[in-house]
Amino acid sequence: MAEAAKRAGAPGDWSAGPICRLRVNGRTHELTVGRDLEPGTTLGYVLRERLGLTGLKLACDEGACGACTVIMDGKAVLSCLVLAMAAEGHEIVTVEGLGADDAVVQAFAAQCEPGFGTALQCGYCTPGFVMTARALLDRQPRPGPAAVAEALGGNICRCGCYAGIARAVQHAAAGDLGASP
Amino acid sequence: MSEPFAPRVPRRFVGGYRPRIDALEKASGRARYADDVTTRERFPNLLHARVLRSPHPHARIRGLDLSRAAALPGVVDILTYADPEVAALKPTSAGWTDGVDTVSYERMMWRRFRDRRVLGDRVHWVGDEAGVVVAAESEAAAEEALRQIVVDWEVLPFVLDPYEAMRPGAPAVHPEVAPGNVLPADEVGGADVFLDKGDALGALEEAEVVVAGTSVYHNANQGALENWTCLARWEGDTLTVWSNSYEADQTRMHLSQMLEIPLSRVRVISHYVGGQFGRNDTGDQPFFVFTALLARRTGRPVKFRHSRREAFHDSRQPIIYEGRLGARRDGTITALCLKGTGNVGAYADHSVFALKFAPAEVAEVCFAHIPNVRMEAYGVYTNKLPGCMMRGVGNSQLNLILGHLVDLLAERLGLDPLDLAVRNFGHRQEALPDASLKAVLEAGARRIGWRDKRHAPGAGPESPGERRRGVGFSFHPGWHAEWQELRRGEIQVSLRLNPDGTVLLDAPTVETGTGSNTCNVLGCAEALGFLGITPEDITWVAVVDTERGLKDTVQTDSSVSFLQSEALVDAARELKARVLAAAARQWQADPADLDVAGGRIFRRDAPEAGVDFRAVLWQGDLVPIVVTTSRLPAAEETGVPYLAAFAEVEVDTGTGRIEVLELVVVNDCGTVMYASGAEAQQIGGQCAGVGETLTEEIIYDRGTGVPLNFNWIDYHIPTLPDMPHITPVLLEEWRGAGEYGACGIGEGVLTCTPRAILNAVYQAIGVRLDEIPLTPQKVLAALGKA
Repeated sequence: MAEAAKRAGAPGDWSAGPICRLRVNGRTHELTVGRDLEPGTTLGYVLRERLGLTGLKLACDEGACGACTVIMDGKAVLSCLVLAMAAEGHEIVTVEGLGADDAVVQAFAAQCEPGFGTALQCGYCTPGFVMTARALLDRQPRPGPAAVAEALGGNICRCGCYAGIARAVQHAAAGDLGASP
Repeated sequence: MSEPFAPRVPRRFVGGYRPRIDALEKASGRARYADDVTTRERFPNLLHARVLRSPHPHARIRGLDLSRAAALPGVVDILTYADPEVAALKPTSAGWTDGVDTVSYERMMWRRFRDRRVLGDRVHWVGDEAGVVVAAESEAAAEEALRQIVVDWEVLPFVLDPYEAMRPGAPAVHPEVAPGNVLPADEVGGADVFLDKGDALGALEEAEVVVAGTSVYHNANQGALENWTCLARWEGDTLTVWSNSYEADQTRMHLSQMLEIPLSRVRVISHYVGGQFGRNDTGDQPFFVFTALLARRTGRPVKFRHSRREAFHDSRQPIIYEGRLGARRDGTITALCLKGTGNVGAYADHSVFALKFAPAEVAEVCFAHIPNVRMEAYGVYTNKLPGCMMRGVGNSQLNLILGHLVDLLAERLGLDPLDLAVRNFGHRQEALPDASLKAVLEAGARRIGWRDKRHAPGAGPESPGERRRGVGFSFHPGWHAEWQELRRGEIQVSLRLNPDGTVLLDAPTVETGTGSNTCNVLGCAEALGFLGITPEDITWVAVVDTERGLKDTVQTDSSVSFLQSEALVDAARELKARVLAAAARQWQADPADLDVAGGRIFRRDAPEAGVDFRAVLWQGDLVPIVVTTSRLPAAEETGVPYLAAFAEVEVDTGTGRIEVLELVVVNDCGTVMYASGAEAQQIGGQCAGVGETLTEEIIYDRGTGVPLNFNWIDYHIPTLPDMPHITPVLLEEWRGAGEYGACGIGEGVLTCTPRAILNAVYQAIGVRLDEIPLTPQKVLAALGKA
């Protein structure tokens, strides 16, 4: 524990010990450097392959699509571009940490307002969009359409559900769930 | 403005606006995909496979030095072209089937073009799978091993351009198949001139008006977010493969025949798939074979997955069309000539489908009333990545020239192109004008404001600055009506009615995002209306597993949504008889004297005294009632419906930038099976449609043959801020066969988008552009500013 305290004071200074402690969805996970991860291992890889949090997806693995988005200290980050060891000392939330009753999750699932399609189809990008939108709404509870487009502009949905997605974010912000007509 | 679709026949479930059945599972991150079920956490002793990629556009491996690679820590096995189990493999094609059906090696669709070797010693494009694959404890260790392999390459001359490849003396890419690089005639595609009706060349000579045009469709990438993944594991002599193959049964056939093991010894499991879009041809991918071989040699599960760069391993088939239309002055088209030249790239795969097969289908359902039609196509091997299937295969490319010629001819004749289209195009089963074509054009014209916004090319009211606005359209026949799906063979579904009234629906199809799963559940609830159940009572089996026993209905042709629902109508009929038989046994009655409606079983002579079917089943043996149906699609030739896109654009003539302001996408569906899903397809298809038109293009270094942008930073897929306002319009004008008479729309939704935008740009600036993607540089060059 002394080691943890020492390291908590100096994130990134991993010479002090072989343990990397990641705080994810309110739980602390201890990972052994050299066994569970290497200094170059990304947060996205560790979350998926070591912690079994497979909601986030590694679709491009180079920061171009947003499918791996998680929230770190309240900000949406691309977990494929964050080194796992650099995430130590930070609070990480993945889609699994939101729960099925989260307003954004609910709004994405419910979207069927005529004229806008659904907010997801294949669903591979969806957890990334949900986390990006969650971080936006935490920061800006009632964003306008331009702010939504700006915030979600780094996420690719190849199924092209952008109209439904934008609608779902508005519904999540308004607290209504776009009920069926 | 949004005008919700109103169904022709009101139904309880089919056709409704509602959430997808998998929406919460997907939005909450709980949906599992191939990469999620093949983690190290689940397979602790798995090995990772990485394959050598060619750095040369055309080369042969003379020899390999594996010594340093084999000695690296974590490297477990290295399989090469020289190993006997690899050398013994049959030559193959990554296009055994066009995806709809299961096809054997002997009857593979492109058996004339078996140009692929699994781990061959020859490579044909930069990025091609070369003759070595490494299995290691981690992907990083496998990649390091690949770097340490010393390859003695014999570098061969290469060619990138199809016209250069056709010249005498050009490097031959596959001399054994096509000495002059042009794919020969074959059983499926036909000869170079694959359609020759009447005397098109003579009719052009005699026509009062002739227009000629060109269109250039490039090699867009499908861009599914999920990369190909497979994990192979042997238990004894049985192979199990978890993958994101969207055709499990065909993948089983492929592995069985390539590895020469019985079908019963191969099990293929597919979970949700993160997008299809024609990705990767078919399930006949060579990597399945080498991954299975490595798993057998090492005795451990082996996982292979593409990186994003590797996911750029095929593209839409690029086609350059030259076309001519001949007509009388009154607007009657008398002749149509089309010549397509396709850069096939390094492997034939499905190129001929795009170049000949799909265009021949279009001719049947769209050019039937033009007396003289000549269509020819040339597929040309080069050393670029292979062209093949992408959403709307062959049709998008053909539409780029069709919509061009119609717009050109209308301008020459002084006619509204909408009127010209209605006057000449339609399928052979119906007299002109085609009611469906007329309906989609009228609906689209009204929504975009065609009559008000249309103006002489380049002569519209000026917008602020140097901006000019224009509107344009294009139209196309739909395809994948039920009669066109006969080549699938039988459609298989199974219903299991539990004694508490819940239903397990096994309608196997790999869910790639199309929404056919929701259509299935709605169709099932509709067909079981006599039980009074709702979609919430139905559990849809999401995982396709060849050991469950039913063949999967493959997610191609945009038609699963209605094919399975039609089969469910039969299944429900049989289920009804079985429910009544169960009640008759209990009541010691004749089943013919009983009926069931609204969930109540009753005697026909006393309909008011019914009993809830659940109560009856609960008093019985509690054995679920299981019904399995296997039936052919309806063969009745019903023609096809039409679709159209209308675009309004604003062109900045100072910068060349094009902004699409509005897209109206109109589909005649026959019957809308699921309105929210259909709208999602219409809107969603525009991500690729707008991308292909404006920004998406694979770029090569011409000097080296190296592709430069196999990533999503330099290959720009539209995101939310790039998208225009889109108005989806669903119609039910045409009617197909069967209970619903529906038609697939998922591919067609983007077929007309590029040409609609190009025609709108012409209206805006008065200069025609024939080549996509329509970059600002091309616009400025056309305006004489660059």
